[in-house]
Amino acid sequence: MWAIIKKELKSYFTTPIGYIFIGVFLIAFSVSFYFTVIGYGNVNYEYIFYTSPTIFVLAFIIPLLTMRTFAEERKNGTEQLLLTSPLSVTKIVLGKLIAALVIVIITEIMTLMYFGILCHYGMPHISTALTTLLGFFLFCLSYISFGLFASSIAENQIIAGIASILFFVILWILPNFNEIFTNISLIEMFYKYTQGQISITNTVTYLTFTITCILLTIIVLQRRKSVK
Amino acid sequence: MIEVKNVTKKYGSVVAVDNISFKIENGEIMGLLGPNGAGKSTTMNMITGYVEPTEGTIIVDEYDIEKKPKKAKKQIGYMPEGVPLYNDMTVKEFITYMAQIKKIDKKTRKEKIQQIIEKTGLEEVEQKLIKNLSRGYKQRVSMAGALVGDPPILILDEPTVGLDPKQITEIRNLIKELGKTHTVILSSHILSEVSQICDKVIIINKGKIIAIDTPENLENKVTNKNIVYITVEDNNDKMKEVTKTIKEITKIELIKENSDKTKQYLIESSKDTDLRKVLFKELANQDITIFEMKKADVTLEDAFMKLIEGGN
Repeated sequence: MWAIIKKELKSYFTTPIGYIFIGVFLIAFSVSFYFTVIGYGNVNYEYIFYTSPTIFVLAFIIPLLTMRTFAEERKNGTEQLLLTSPLSVTKIVLGKLIAALVIVIITEIMTLMYFGILCHYGMPHISTALTTLLGFFLFCLSYISFGLFASSIAENQIIAGIASILFFVILWILPNFNEIFTNISLIEMFYKYTQGQISITNTVTYLTFTITCILLTIIVLQRRKSVK
Repeated sequence: MIEVKNVTKKYGSVVAVDNISFKIENGEIMGLLGPNGAGKSTTMNMITGYVEPTEGTIIVDEYDIEKKPKKAKKQIGYMPEGVPLYNDMTVKEFITYMAQIKKIDKKTRKEKIQQIIEKTGLEEVEQKLIKNLSRGYKQRVSMAGALVGDPPILILDEPTVGLDPKQITEIRNLIKELGKTHTVILSSHILSEVSQICDKVIIINKGKIIAIDTPENLENKVTNKNIVYITVEDNNDKMKEVTKTIKEITKIELIKENSDKTKQYLIESSKDTDLRKVLFKELANQDITIFEMKKADVTLEDAFMKLIEGGN
């Protein structure tokens, strides 16, 4: 599994994808930072995560991380190399998931510089900041696992990307139509973490969603063996 | 050892491989022959565990590929058709990656990777990106990926497609060399290649096995006559008369007259008689000079064509 993680990470940084993900996220983050901190004089680090620009760019840059994972391997035929190796499908899927998560963690670490700036001028809450980072991680985790699933079913990476973007956008706009959807929106769930609460319900929901997507991905790859 | 027992593969209602069974012993080089779409790649994909058979079992070195895939897959080095590679890796990175996913022991890994690079002649390009390599080198990189870790069984799907003649010879020699210590299955539609390299041949058509035998036996099976080509200088035109005196000849035919006044004949006899000795003596007696005499080889190509047509 380590080999897969290393290879995926390497490919994130030998292609522009890794840089685009981190760069674009930080730009969006900076825009939010400018408006909330300089515009409103607010020194809440956590609030910056839960603003439209940061949430909005995620819809486009997370699919960037995940859309290639399986669709590209299938197109190039390198899937044959993976699936005929002694590695189990579960390990292959988890390897790719972890590699994408590492990129998220790197991004989170980079946002800490904003926390540093805030510390210089004010007194942001460290505990709230940490729960926000945890919430952001869980949110990205569930979204990445959906992206992996989309990549495993799609014939090419563009379709996989579009499917993940659509999924995200739908999740985002659904609560506007009916209050009921607020409770199942992955984005709304993230809000509680930015308030400094680790909600068991939401954490379990994120993890369940992730496990479901990962299991589905594994099943799709296993199943393809018999129908291919 | 590989044992394929009553294996069938269906894609929907299309039967790609239809109830095939065969056994490959250790140290054998087995050639899988067949026209396009005969089921060669499907068979190989099933042996490597990439595709699941609809029915039947495949046993690789005592391990059932369905029940113990990890152990079975560890025995196999697979070079898929169309040489899929990671284009943004260097040659060395790719081979290292293959070594890692094949779970080769860390202590010996570096050494083994170096050995493979030398064996496949990739030293010069080891730091180059795969996407910048020529087709021949890519083929070798793919081969190196299959060989790394020294698996006892090698499965090579069309290993020489798209190579120039020099590269083909090199790859063939490499396969021959490997065949001394490995069990090899290779598919091809180049028949001369198979007859040169393989100990045994499976001819497969429309998903069914039509013959399993050594290349020589297959060639012999389909021949029912013996043909000799002979070029002579025969100024007095005695050739036809002379040959009438030899009873074994069933047919004689003038093929062409050369500019140097020699003539080439085709002489046919029954399968078990070799005419060359008799002809040599008789023609010498009659003062006919032999410029060239050659027994026509029945090639695997003939055997193949006949078997495939017979199957239809």
